[in-house]
Formats: sequence, structure tokens, C-alpha cells
Amino acid sequence: MAVPSQMATSELYCWEGDWGLPSVDTECLIILAYAKFAGAPLKLHKIGNPWRSPTGSLPALKTSENGSLSRPSDIIIHLRKQKYNADFDLSAKEGADTLAFISLLEEKLMPALVYTRWIDPKNYVEVTRRWHAEHAPFPLNFFLPGSIQRQQLQRLRLVRGDEELTAGEEVEKELYRDAMECMNLISQRLGSNKFFFGDSPSSLDAFVFGYLVPILKMKLPNGRLQQHLKSLDNLSHFCSNILALYFPSEGRGISRKVSSQPEGGDADNEPGKRRKQLLSVLVALGAMLSYAFLTGIVAIQHVQQEALDHRSPGLRSLSSHGEEEDGEEEG
Amino acid sequence: MSLAAEAFVSQIAAAEPWPENATLYQPLREDQILLSDCASSLAVQAYLRMCNLPVHVSCRSNAEYMSPSGKVPFVHVGNQVVSELGPIVQFTKAKGHSLSDGLDDVQRAEMKAYMELVNNMLLTAELYIQWCDDTTATEISRPRYSSPYSWPLNQILAYQKQWEVRRKMNAIGWAGKSLEQVYEDVSQCCQALSQRLGTQPYFFNKQPTELDALVFGHLFTILTTRLTSDELGEKIKSYSNLLAFCRRIEQSYFEDSQAGSSSRGYSKGPSLF
Repeated sequence: MAVPSQMATSELYCWEGDWGLPSVDTECLIILAYAKFAGAPLKLHKIGNPWRSPTGSLPALKTSENGSLSRPSDIIIHLRKQKYNADFDLSAKEGADTLAFISLLEEKLMPALVYTRWIDPKNYVEVTRRWHAEHAPFPLNFFLPGSIQRQQLQRLRLVRGDEELTAGEEVEKELYRDAMECMNLISQRLGSNKFFFGDSPSSLDAFVFGYLVPILKMKLPNGRLQQHLKSLDNLSHFCSNILALYFPSEGRGISRKVSSQPEGGDADNEPGKRRKQLLSVLVALGAMLSYAFLTGIVAIQHVQQEALDHRSPGLRSLSSHGEEEDGEEEG
Repeated sequence: MSLAAEAFVSQIAAAEPWPENATLYQPLREDQILLSDCASSLAVQAYLRMCNLPVHVSCRSNAEYMSPSGKVPFVHVGNQVVSELGPIVQFTKAKGHSLSDGLDDVQRAEMKAYMELVNNMLLTAELYIQWCDDTTATEISRPRYSSPYSWPLNQILAYQKQWEVRRKMNAIGWAGKSLEQVYEDVSQCCQALSQRLGTQPYFFNKQPTELDALVFGHLFTILTTRLTSDELGEKIKSYSNLLAFCRRIEQSYFEDSQAGSSSRGYSKGPSLF
């Protein structure tokens, strides 16, 4: 009865989109796609600054009853509890397959995806770091990309159980081999079907989409994964198909972006501009005040020093003429 | 193992037949090995038995440090050392022993996916319970893990290991889970396996594959190992087809191999039935 209106209050915070994607991040894409498939109304906040999310990380779902959720599986469970279930028609065995293939993606594709975006030096410097620096607000843009990169490298090291893992040919080969095998397996499982189970998309479709579509669409200088994905026709069709069916506005976004990038840039700048102005005024004010304060302190100390300097000969003279003075006081 | 080494190994492997003196190394069975390592080791043993490849099981207190990847178990075959089930499966395949040749492409994709499900959920849950549940860590995991070492070293190594696992849990988002949620995940995983197995004798009908070995290794170990609480085992016991599956593999691959064979007492606990 009144339930749907309650549900509409769920707010999703996710990374902004680019390259014709509704978001640049796999986990955000999974949630966005799942919500579309299940028909869940979400209020979207597409942001470039994870500090503005209620959990400090992205994606995050702000719900009225459960607080804020950030793990994609928790968010999907939450939506499911609200009767937004994209897996309603699945048989028990299909549900089991869903779980298994999601594990396959997490174990085999995730490390390569992290590597290709954050660790591969060329991709990181030319695309990922630049993108995040451009999309984060002023003071954050200097250290946010670096801090996310350190986090991701740490995560990759722990997942692979290799403390010294760094960008390198051997690591890359190993990760990409796993990822390509994973893509092959998924492609074989999909076969010539439109979706993984039947005629309507389910959560597995959301996960596969979330993992693969960034590989397909992002323009990375080192695009070995992309080349491989493009060679698997059914998978690349699967991704563009979902993109066209469920995120039609993003497709239009591409052409707009290509034709009128400066316009979009201006529109984006408008709200940020005032913030930047305010911030620079604040910083300048702070600098002036602290300078004044600092010099003030120096002056005060100087005065005290002088006072001490004046007093010390006085003290000395006091001690030398102590008896006289004592006598005087008594008198 | 590095790629170059791997390519080298598979070339060499193809040339030589499986020797009689192949050895599988694992930590000490009675006082040291932990649930997760025991499960992985049993999975490899089950796999090799399914392939009909003889292997001698050797328990070493420093098995973890002997292993090329830092993970147990590992096998020493001829002059090669290979660790963990995945690479061992590839290694035997190079020697011409494979259980999954009869599968079609879709089945092979499903098999790999379910193997990752076991690694992703069961193995992680075992690690979580061992090292992140304080009671289990204090009463079982730390004392057992460090049992071969004397005082200052045992504490250092055990806490180092615990620290490492906890950081990993953090990285994969499991650190925020409660024990209840982990049991729930195990239950979900078992339900998926149970659904996939259905009424078939093995996951892909008549013939066992490496997936069967892996599932057997984990389920059987959980069922026969005593932990601080029985809850983990109870989750599995509610799926009768999984129990029957474990019994079937135990009977066909472990029981009829006579005493005196190298791997008697492959699990320290009592047998299932």
C-alpha cells in the first residue's frame, strides 16, 4: 500500500559515468543494472567524491530502515527484501549457477580489472588518475587518486597473497590469462542466449554486465582485455545490448559528449565554481590570519624576552644589594 | 609459480610418466594442520585417487614454508614441485591424466564456476572461522598452528598469520561480517552445491571431476573436524544428498584402498559413518 512510496526514499550514491557508461565503477554498475532489471526506483547521486557518500565509499545505498549499505550483495539483498527481485523466476538450480558464476567473476576477473585500471602504469597515469583528478573537488583531487590506488594495490596484494606484487609483465600475464579464461567460460555459458537465464535479465546478468562493460567501453592505452572481449562476439553484444535497453540516456550522452564537450564541461563547472571560489577565499583568509597570528606570537615572545632581559640585571642588582633593600622594606 | 616456470613444467611434465614415489606434503596431521589446509589437502588427495595416481603423504611441520606458493598442500613429483589443486590439475593434465575431458564447453564453464564458488565461499568461511572468530582462534587455531615451535616464535608466527588473514578479510569485505552471517553464507553455498548435485552420483553425472574432489575435501573435513561449535557441520548435515555424496566418495576412493597404503588416516577425525 504505502510501501512503494517508502521505497522511493532509498538513495544510491555511486561514481559518475563516462565513456557512455552510467558509472565507471564495477560495483556501482552492478547495482544500477540490478535496480533497472528489478524495476527498483532509486534516487541517484552520481558523484566523483567518495567522501560525500554516507559510508565514505562508493557505492552506498542510504535506506530509511537499515542505515547505509555499501557491499553490493547487501544492497541487492535489501532490494530483494523490498520485493524488487530480478531473480524471482529462477529455479533453484539457476540460483545456484548464479552464485557459482558470480564467484568465478570475483575470483578470476576482479583482480585483472583492478590491475588494468589502477596498477598498469600507463592506464593509471593516462586515464584513471586523470579521470579521478578531474572528477574530485579541488583539494581532494591531489591525493584522492593516489589513495584509491594504494588501497587497490593493497587489496590486490592480499587477494593474491603476494606482499611484493607490483606492476610487471609477469603479474600482468598471469592476471590477464585468468581473466581471459574467465571471459571464455562466461561466453561459453551464455552461448547464443540474450540473457543468462531465459528472456529476462537476472542478477547474474547484472554482475557480468558490471564486470565486462567497463572493459568494453573504457578507452585505456593498454587494452589487451578489451581486445579479447571484443573477439567474443556474444559477450560484447550482451553488454551493448543491456546498455542500449536499460541505459538509453547514456548512449545519447556519448554523442553529446563527443560533439559538445566544452558545453558539458561548463555545465559541470557551474556548481563547482562557487565552491572553488569560496574555498580559495577561505584558504587565502586562513593564510593571512595565520601569518598575522604567527608574527603576533613572535612579537609577544619578543616582548616577554625583553621584559626578562630587563629584569635579569635588576635581579642581579637585587641580589647584590639585597641587604640594603631588605632593610629598606623593613623600614 | 611463474609463467615461465609453468610453461617449462608442463613441457617436462608431458615427457615423463607419473612416478611411483610422488609425495604430497602437508602440515602435521595430529597437532598442527588447520581445517582449511586439511580440506585443501584432502581435496588434492581425492583428486589424485580419482585419477588413479599414487601419492605418498608426508607430514612436515614446515610444509607451508617448503611450498613454492606458501600454501599447502604441494606435491613433489619427479623433480617438480607443484602446489594447490588448480595447478596440480593442470600438471596432471599435461601428463595425460584428466577427469574433465568428457565435459562439453558449458559443463566445463560450470565446473570452473562451482570450483570458484567453493574457494570463494567455503574456503573463505573456513579461514574466517579459524582466524577471525576469537574463541576458535584462541582455543584451536593459534595453539595448533604454532605447535611445532617454542615460546617466543610460536606467538609471533601465530599472530602474524592471524593478522595476515584478517587483513585479507578486510580487503575482500568480510571483516564486517558477523559469525552468523558467515554461517549463513556457508549454508547458501551448500544449498547451491546441493541443488547442482541433485540426485546424480557426481556433479557431472557418472564420472567424478576435480569439482567433486574439491567439494569432497571441504565438506568431509568440515564434517569430521571438531571445532568450538558444531554449527558449521550442522549446516552441511541438513543436505542429505551432500552427505550421501561424501559417503560415496569416501567409500569408492578411500575405504577400499588397503591399510598400509600411504594415506591411511587421511582425516584425523572419525570417519563419517
